[in-house]
Amino acid sequence: MKEVRSQKSEVRIFLSVFCILYSVFCILTFAYAKVYIDITSPALRKLPVSFIPAGQAEAKEITEIVRNDFDFTGMFSPVDANIPGAEVKISIEAAVSGQKVTASVAVMDLLENTEILKGKYTAEKTSLRLLSHHISNEIFKAITGQNGIFRTRLSYIANISGKKELHLMDWDGHNDRDIGSRGLIVSHNWSSGGDYLTYSSERNKEWGIYLLTLANYKETFLFSSRELNLAGGFSPSGSIVFSSSRDGSPEIYTMNSDGSNVKKLTRSIGIDVSPAFSPDGSQIAFVSDRGGTPQIYLMNSDGSGIRRITFEGNYNTSPSWSPDGKWIAYVGRKEGLNQIFIVNTDTGDAGQLTDKGNNESPSFSPDGMFIALDSDREGAKGIYIIHIKGGWQKRITPKGMRAATPRWSPYLK
Amino acid sequence: MKKALIFLLIVFAVGCQKKYVKAPSEPVKTESAAPAEVKAAADKKGAAEEKIYPKSAEIKRDVLEKKEEVAAKEESVFKDALFDFDKYDIRADARPVLEGIALWLKKNKDVNIVIEGHCDERGTNEYNLALGEKRAKAAKDFLSALGISASRAKTISYGEEKPLCSEQREECYQRNRRAHTTLQR
Repeated sequence: MKEVRSQKSEVRIFLSVFCILYSVFCILTFAYAKVYIDITSPALRKLPVSFIPAGQAEAKEITEIVRNDFDFTGMFSPVDANIPGAEVKISIEAAVSGQKVTASVAVMDLLENTEILKGKYTAEKTSLRLLSHHISNEIFKAITGQNGIFRTRLSYIANISGKKELHLMDWDGHNDRDIGSRGLIVSHNWSSGGDYLTYSSERNKEWGIYLLTLANYKETFLFSSRELNLAGGFSPSGSIVFSSSRDGSPEIYTMNSDGSNVKKLTRSIGIDVSPAFSPDGSQIAFVSDRGGTPQIYLMNSDGSGIRRITFEGNYNTSPSWSPDGKWIAYVGRKEGLNQIFIVNTDTGDAGQLTDKGNNESPSFSPDGMFIALDSDREGAKGIYIIHIKGGWQKRITPKGMRAATPRWSPYLK
Repeated sequence: MKKALIFLLIVFAVGCQKKYVKAPSEPVKTESAAPAEVKAAADKKGAAEEKIYPKSAEIKRDVLEKKEEVAAKEESVFKDALFDFDKYDIRADARPVLEGIALWLKKNKDVNIVIEGHCDERGTNEYNLALGEKRAKAAKDFLSALGISASRAKTISYGEEKPLCSEQREECYQRNRRAHTTLQR
């Protein structure tokens, strides 16, 4: 039987066990032939789904989390089981034995009366949320043919009565925890496998770049100079891009993930900051004021071929790549407020995604369907998730809690 | 009781000041004094703060000393040099501020400073950190032009991470867009 434990340090070990046992013991039937929702379609139709819990009390809890996951995507409309209209029925039965819960899941296509998915999933009672999100992923894959983001997480900076802390939370805002309050922390970013975070931290009036191993929360020092040093993102092969003013002015550099092999990529008298590798590692987006105002630029990963990609407005910062590398989300100032825009890196087509309050720090979900951001639209700055096709936006940190700069994890195993 | 309360209040105020908020007061108090005395004063203050159970006589003396320091702080030569939005050039009104700091540094040759660059909350964190650095360095360059050796001034940027105030008004934004000078310790 599979085991799901949420203890942070054991996550990796248990996950490999999880995967092996999963393939051996699970009775699963997938019907991939039919795609029930084409999530890449521009005109997304909400699929009506009913959720039916059965068995012990845990079934209700699991069903509720799964239902919220599906509702949260904006792609499904939950339908009362007693009212006709549902096209897919999700039945979740739970059985408790000792400290373990086993959920039996059955997903039916009600129009064709066929079973889309049948599976059993076991976890510690204390890991119901993780188990539920895992079940959501399984069902989502069966219905859409795509990977679900229900087990992804977000890192962000929480401002707890003036003290800024690095936090991690599930994508739905639950399971929030403080993972590091060693000095002021800024510009945190995930490694492409989700095992590490890199960030900058100010200690004794120096900005250093650090690496945090998430399996054991061990911090490794990578780079420092007497000047400003700001972490950027990882390449898929594990290089880290960052900005440093060690030669006087903030320029873009790359280094290996152990801090070795530092290479300088840009040379300009102005500001070059916020570098981010494209998902394939071939390009770097960054912010530069070389043209007089801060704008987004692209260059090849060796520093060649620098070109500007934003032309509207006089303040465009915080580039974030879409997972397919086709789009960059960024912050642009319009009518005195900061808003989230996206621009196509090939065609230059651009669009505005937000219009209420200030919205900053965009970060794509690993499936490219959502963007996490921080916004003061309801007062204190909080973390929101928006659908890239617009219309649907949701705050995931508690109202009134000050939270900013979300960074969405890749798919987590 | 009242005295204890005043003492607590003053310790609190001085405590805050020491951590961050305003320029240190020693420079003014000892404006014409030798640098050694400045250091001694700083040491004395540090020692006083470490005391856990001061005797009542000491409390009285501390209250007096700290009252003087708080008053002196108001007319500190270490004022903030202010900047325009998204700019890092030294404004005309920041010149006399930096000239005052340069004059003081010429009189106190053994004392070094830290110049902190700060921004208002608008704009994104990383760009503001870079902007804050440019502001701190612009102030440092200005001091250099006035004859202050670059080795005497360290710069650090805090971007929008350590605002003086957090209201969303231009008056507050302006207070936060600053190069703030403190003593190197």
